[in-house]
Amino acid sequence: MRRMQALSATNRRASLGVFVALVCEGALLALMLPFRSDLSLATPGLVFVIPVIIGVAVGGLAPGVLAALTCIVLYDVFFIPPYGALTIHTRANSLALLVYLIVVLIVAEIVHNLHSARNEAHRREQDAGRLFELSQALIGDLTISQLLDHIAATVQTVFAPRWTALLLPSGPGPASDEGAELFVAARSGQELTTEEVDSLTAGGGQIRSLGMAGGEAPSRMAVALVASNRPVGLLVLQEVQFARHDRALLGTFANQAALAVERAQLQDQALRSRLLEEVDRWRAAMMGAVSHDLRTPLASVKAAVSSLRQDSDSMSSTDRAELLELIELQSDRLARLVTNLLDMTRIESGALAVRPTLIPLDELVDESLGAVNGLVPRSRVEVEHGPDLPLLEIDHVLIGQVLANLLENAARLSPDDSRIRIGARSVGGPAVPFVEISVTDEGPGIEAEERERVFEMFSQKSGGARAGLGLAIAKAFVEAHGGSIWIDPRITRGARVVFTVPGAVSVAEHA
Amino acid sequence: MPDGMTKILIVDDDPALVKALRIGLTARGDEVATAHSGSDAITQVALFSPDLVILDLGLPDLDGLEVCRRIREFSDVPVVVLSAYGDERRKVEALDGGADDFITKPFGMAELEARLRVAIRHSAARTGSRSQPAATLRIGQLEIDMVHHMASMGGEALVLTAREFDLLAYLARNAGKVCTHHMILKDVWGAGYGAESNYVRVYAHRLRKKLNDDDGEILRTVPGIGYQLVDNAPAD
Repeated sequence: MRRMQALSATNRRASLGVFVALVCEGALLALMLPFRSDLSLATPGLVFVIPVIIGVAVGGLAPGVLAALTCIVLYDVFFIPPYGALTIHTRANSLALLVYLIVVLIVAEIVHNLHSARNEAHRREQDAGRLFELSQALIGDLTISQLLDHIAATVQTVFAPRWTALLLPSGPGPASDEGAELFVAARSGQELTTEEVDSLTAGGGQIRSLGMAGGEAPSRMAVALVASNRPVGLLVLQEVQFARHDRALLGTFANQAALAVERAQLQDQALRSRLLEEVDRWRAAMMGAVSHDLRTPLASVKAAVSSLRQDSDSMSSTDRAELLELIELQSDRLARLVTNLLDMTRIESGALAVRPTLIPLDELVDESLGAVNGLVPRSRVEVEHGPDLPLLEIDHVLIGQVLANLLENAARLSPDDSRIRIGARSVGGPAVPFVEISVTDEGPGIEAEERERVFEMFSQKSGGARAGLGLAIAKAFVEAHGGSIWIDPRITRGARVVFTVPGAVSVAEHA
Repeated sequence: MPDGMTKILIVDDDPALVKALRIGLTARGDEVATAHSGSDAITQVALFSPDLVILDLGLPDLDGLEVCRRIREFSDVPVVVLSAYGDERRKVEALDGGADDFITKPFGMAELEARLRVAIRHSAARTGSRSQPAATLRIGQLEIDMVHHMASMGGEALVLTAREFDLLAYLARNAGKVCTHHMILKDVWGAGYGAESNYVRVYAHRLRKKLNDDDGEILRTVPGIGYQLVDNAPAD
């Protein structure tokens, strides 16, 4: 089929050449015939070179030769006496015809050669252009799937088969295993039928079985993409018309594509391993943070208990009472931290749902202060908000923990008698009311470059001065409510932690 | 100090731990001051002139290592570092930076007390010997003659190679202090050494044989960190 189409194209050109040459001959004949008696014998010979050149230029060598032969007949019949017959009487006339024939054939050959050289140059230029286009695309920063699509699309545009398919071995990584099954990773042109896909992938769909020259299905052309002596994929062109030189061009294409695919695959692998490394580092940091935070209350409990066991006799009763209280508070702190951690992991894994209820801010504050009872003296805490603050629509257990963590941090990091202020205001529209709650302390504050990182699991700068896990947990809980949490950058003295949570649509608007 | 009260400065940002330590140490008859930040700690060392500093490495303002270095700029007060479990690198850094010993959280008061006593006793001995370099060092049963490069254990002369003697002498000069592999290598082997902790292990093993100290009660191993020469008999 391919050959037939190729032939028909050549035929069309040849027929056109013959046609143009014949028309030209007829016209010249008609032009010269009325005054042929005035013309010398050589003149028609010169004039009849024209149709031959035109025939060669338009249709190639064969139409040119055909034109030359018909011209000889016309020359002889119409311009060499006796007119109207093929017979030639004088030797001089025979010589004129012979010279004409030789001249015309040489001219035809030269014109033909010039013509094909020009065509060849044009084709090479086109090939170079296509290759440049392809390589240009391949060096770009494409993801592997974009790259594969691009290769398929370019091959489709350049060679115009019915379709182009790019097959890759299934399974992870480059095709180190020669027996790997193939799958269609990218395609271009017409849709592949299911049978065609099956014929590509099943059974014979292995790189080894198709091989470099491979693809003996009629009119199907398959080229293996080979990089570093290793097959990385297979390029299949269905029903493609190939000129001889196209095969070499496709080979060059395939080599470039193979290198690009290999490079992209390696890049992909490198990215994957970097990600794994990152996860490992994160996990280690989290374990460190958890262990630090659990150990801190444990350290004071153990110190207090061992003190009581050994030196209880030499202590005043106030000291004993203080140590006992400390043990109780720190045990509570430990228990709260464990609950927090469990809740956080369950929220992040989706096992714990947020259960919102309506609660006024003051009640939430009371609840939080209860949770950090003893760690944060009630007398240090001030609550300020306008009278029209909407109710909070939150899971009060979780947001209570958020507030408790912030209060505990504030109390721990600021001077003993300083104030801790809780502020609240309504933000967002009436349709989606949000309440912004802030906790402000008079401690050392948080440096600008630390403001983002304090919310990360592994934020602890050299030992965990600020929150340890407290802020990371707060962030998880607030975000589970669709809110956000940040450190107010405008505060220069002390620290102000701000978070938003959903508020209730006001009752008045319901009515 | 065997006589009178020991003045101890506790530096930690966790008020609960500070309180527990304060009550516990006071009950034992020590005088206690507290600091919650690094800068506060440095001021207190200057003003309160404690006999010992208990220093947490995680402080809100300054890094504990930095605090330790700054204290060392003007004071020889023994520093016992509080550190988190598994933070070997920071322990080594703290010891290289001038800390005397470390204790890992959580700890019991008895253990803390023991470490504090060792640090204070040996530090007192060290400051004494520094003002007037002693020709002979005595650590418990061990006697080291620095002039004649001779050592004896309970009156019995020890046969030591030059390197073994140098190692023993270095540890004796720093008795009670945890010496990291790095510190030992730099001083005993020379400036070009620092990473070859195997050398130290081999020589420590030989020394221990010659000291008849198979259990490591005199030449204590601090796993992953270094060695400490301790005299376990209470000072008189």
